[in-house]
Amino acid sequence: MKNILGYLHSNLTPGEAGSLFWVTVYVLLVFAGVATIVMFMNWFERKAMAHMQVRLGPMRVGPHGLLQPVADALKLLLKEDLMPANADKLVFWFAPVTVVMTAFCGFIVVPFGPTHAITDMNIGVLFMLGVSSLSVLGVIMGGWASNSNYPLMGSLRSGAQMVSYEVAMAMAVVSAVMMSSMATGTGTLSMIGIVRAQMQQHVWFAFSFFPVGLIAFAVFAIAMVAETNRAPFDLPEAESELVAGFLTEYSGFRWSLFFLAEYAAMIAVSSIATTLWLGGWLRPFPNLLAGKNWDLAFSLVPGLSFMVAAGLCFFFYTRMPKIRAMRANAIGQAGLGCFLFALGVVLMLPGVHERIQDIYWFTLKVLGFMYLYIWYRATFPRYRFDQLMKIGWKVLLPISIGVVILTALIGVRQELFALVWR
Amino acid sequence: MKVVELLRKIFLIDLFQGLSVTFRHQHPDDLVTEQYPIERPEVSDRFRGQPRLKNDADGKTLCTACGACALACPEKLIKIGSLRDPETKKKVLTEFGFDVGRCMFCGLCEEACPTHSLELGKDYELALYTREGMELERNQLENGIPRKVYEK
Repeated sequence: MKNILGYLHSNLTPGEAGSLFWVTVYVLLVFAGVATIVMFMNWFERKAMAHMQVRLGPMRVGPHGLLQPVADALKLLLKEDLMPANADKLVFWFAPVTVVMTAFCGFIVVPFGPTHAITDMNIGVLFMLGVSSLSVLGVIMGGWASNSNYPLMGSLRSGAQMVSYEVAMAMAVVSAVMMSSMATGTGTLSMIGIVRAQMQQHVWFAFSFFPVGLIAFAVFAIAMVAETNRAPFDLPEAESELVAGFLTEYSGFRWSLFFLAEYAAMIAVSSIATTLWLGGWLRPFPNLLAGKNWDLAFSLVPGLSFMVAAGLCFFFYTRMPKIRAMRANAIGQAGLGCFLFALGVVLMLPGVHERIQDIYWFTLKVLGFMYLYIWYRATFPRYRFDQLMKIGWKVLLPISIGVVILTALIGVRQELFALVWR
Repeated sequence: MKVVELLRKIFLIDLFQGLSVTFRHQHPDDLVTEQYPIERPEVSDRFRGQPRLKNDADGKTLCTACGACALACPEKLIKIGSLRDPETKKKVLTEFGFDVGRCMFCGLCEEACPTHSLELGKDYELALYTREGMELERNQLENGIPRKVYEK
């Protein structure tokens, strides 16, 4: 009991502190949080894409279709769980489980704040990359076990795609890791260490060594879309050629596991990108606008933003058509507004707002990436397979190797200058 | 010119243009979807829907029972009954039958009418579960058919 409460005063992640209780709590919280965001993303993707295609998207289930993911999940659970007669039963069953496990494993090292990570590994980035690239194993298992042509083709494509883009991605990561060695002299692979290095160097790595950091970031941002099999690189599930790729034979709950894993993987790679290049949990301008007043002002932003969302809810509540068919929706929207307002108030409370702001800024940056994913999907047509390979091997790989070399050269030059002028 | 194209390729200008197009289309004014039962669409002035017979200001029918509409109808679905008034020696409309179930809403009857009494109006919810009720009587055409409003 003493240990449990004692953790709250330590400035360590639960994994480092060795507190099994808090690790469990954090794992459950992260799992619940990611699952909630996945559900929200399901709604948001349909909605944002619909607006980009001048449609409305889901409108009927809940206010502006907010409960649509719940209805979808219910439908998927009630659906018959089909398995092809000649499928490899064990592998077929195990494939979605593998994908989900690998997608969620990566979150062990994601730093939502200086202490808000399940654990801080000194090989954090490496672990994350390794685990997230394991998910291709699940995809290949699924495609092979389905014993059908389309899934096999889809999973083979997925394997080739993952292998090609992994290289460019890793090279871009290497450049960020090299940047983290600038102020201290020793680089780090720990996710928390990398964010701390950005704090020390007074710059997000996306903007350091301009424009080298930005190029590395761009390479990673493109490669991560390919890694998660999202449009415009969604060849493994290209519905115009391969029906649904490796998902063809999956239905019901197993399919929803794949779905969950896809979005969890998207969040995972986005959080790598946020951590490495966009300053992780750091609020905007932590050094430029430092001081007590600025700290207080920025820590009130989360609560205020929730209140603004609540205000929007109420505003649109007043503009809803006053007819009987919309009454349930209107009540739901007002209730949502109340909930958001209450959440905003809770986030403003003293003691809460200092601790919650790291998580808020991190989530905000990750959600920005999520929006980008949707935006890409609504804009870009799918690449042909040879184009995909060309981009991976002939464009991204040389650029990323060049970036690594440039980072090394500039870094060494700066270190030498610092030595000479001291 | 080649340099410009190369720069366009390097900085992915075309991709960013595409992104800006999709982003701008998110504006609510661009929306084309209608929430049908909740918000009812505005049909155009030339829309041809539920037929109706118009009365003049006194509530008397404008129809002179001339039969031009029945002649013009390609489906022969308009039935006109009339009597000759012995005093004024004019045709008086007694009944007017219009079978909407066979109507293709071509509007030829509307064009043929010399007094503009027959009109294909703007009501569009004509669906019924059976064919009964599709043969409209004179008073239905004059007073309109009350639309059944379903409450949830």
